[in-house]
Amino acid sequence: MSDREIDRQLVERVQQGDKRAFDLLVEKYWRKLTRLLSRMVRDSGEVEDIAQETFIKAYRALPQFRGDAAFYTWLYRIGVNTAKNYLAAKSKAMPTVSEQAAPDEEGTEDRWAVQDIATPESELLSKQVAMAVNEAVEALPEELRTAITLREMEGLSYEEIAQMMNCPIGTVRSRIFRAREAIAAKLRPILGTAQDTRW
Amino acid sequence: MQKPALASDNENMDWLSALLDGEADDDLEGIGRLARDEALKARWSEYCLIGDALRGLSQPSGRVPERVRVALSDEPTILAPVVKPRHRPALWLAAAATVAAVTWMTMHAEPTAAPPVRMAMQSGPAEVAALDVVPYLAAHQDYAQALTSSPEMHFSQVALALPEAAR
Repeated sequence: MSDREIDRQLVERVQQGDKRAFDLLVEKYWRKLTRLLSRMVRDSGEVEDIAQETFIKAYRALPQFRGDAAFYTWLYRIGVNTAKNYLAAKSKAMPTVSEQAAPDEEGTEDRWAVQDIATPESELLSKQVAMAVNEAVEALPEELRTAITLREMEGLSYEEIAQMMNCPIGTVRSRIFRAREAIAAKLRPILGTAQDTRW
Repeated sequence: MQKPALASDNENMDWLSALLDGEADDDLEGIGRLARDEALKARWSEYCLIGDALRGLSQPSGRVPERVRVALSDEPTILAPVVKPRHRPALWLAAAATVAAVTWMTMHAEPTAAPPVRMAMQSGPAEVAALDVVPYLAAHQDYAQALTSSPEMHFSQVALALPEAAR
């Protein structure tokens, strides 16, 4: 089941009345969307407002979503238009954005040289999260560290990782899972998530 | 209710980890369970955060703000017919229909006694063995050549090996 297929299945569940499935899409794309929007809007508070409005618009428009495009592509277009409308309403000048442009993160980031301005609290939390994740990855056994790095940072498939590490795909799956669990355990004190909330 | 054993718990999360990577087996029931289980959703959130942090996406904000969840929870439930993605017209269906049509035409156009006539494939003359179709082909050769662009018209050039008696 591909990543796009998973998104499509979640969208279908929402269309059939399961709102909780939409939460999973929000969790998956919130940071990616806010990072994109932060290149268009300076204020982090406004970024969150626009992102929230984007997801709400997307939720309301889901009955019309046919799946011709990937969910994030569709969400990206809604986010860009929402940001433009938001800033136009506040009488701010905005560079035009092609609605047909693909959500290429690298190209999009170069288009607007807007510096992020985050609140001290959110910036501190983000740094703590990044530091904790990096420290946790460094503390992993080599095979786990290699597997999670190849997956998350290189975007390789399990099959590709298995070939590179010369091990079965099931072993790759297990190593990535164990790496995530180890990192999550280091994150919980920072996020304030107690272990018992797993159950 | 007692907590499930650690092995089965890890098995659940193992599947969730693979699902996030798009590497899980087709399991629609599992996706449904994910949507209903708060523990699984919390773990999904953590896995997403870990991946985004490794890719440098943890800024400017980390977790999804609670107000976003509240705003979405206030939205009415959607009940819409599932619209399947518009795939390109099923080419296999068109191909199957073409094959069926050609087969049907071949079966119904099969000559009774005379041997089959070999048709030239767009280039080069070919001898026509069946004498009874020679006049017909001769009469329609110009028409056939005019339609060389059509894939159905393969007999663009047909050399008519006229028997001595017919000349």
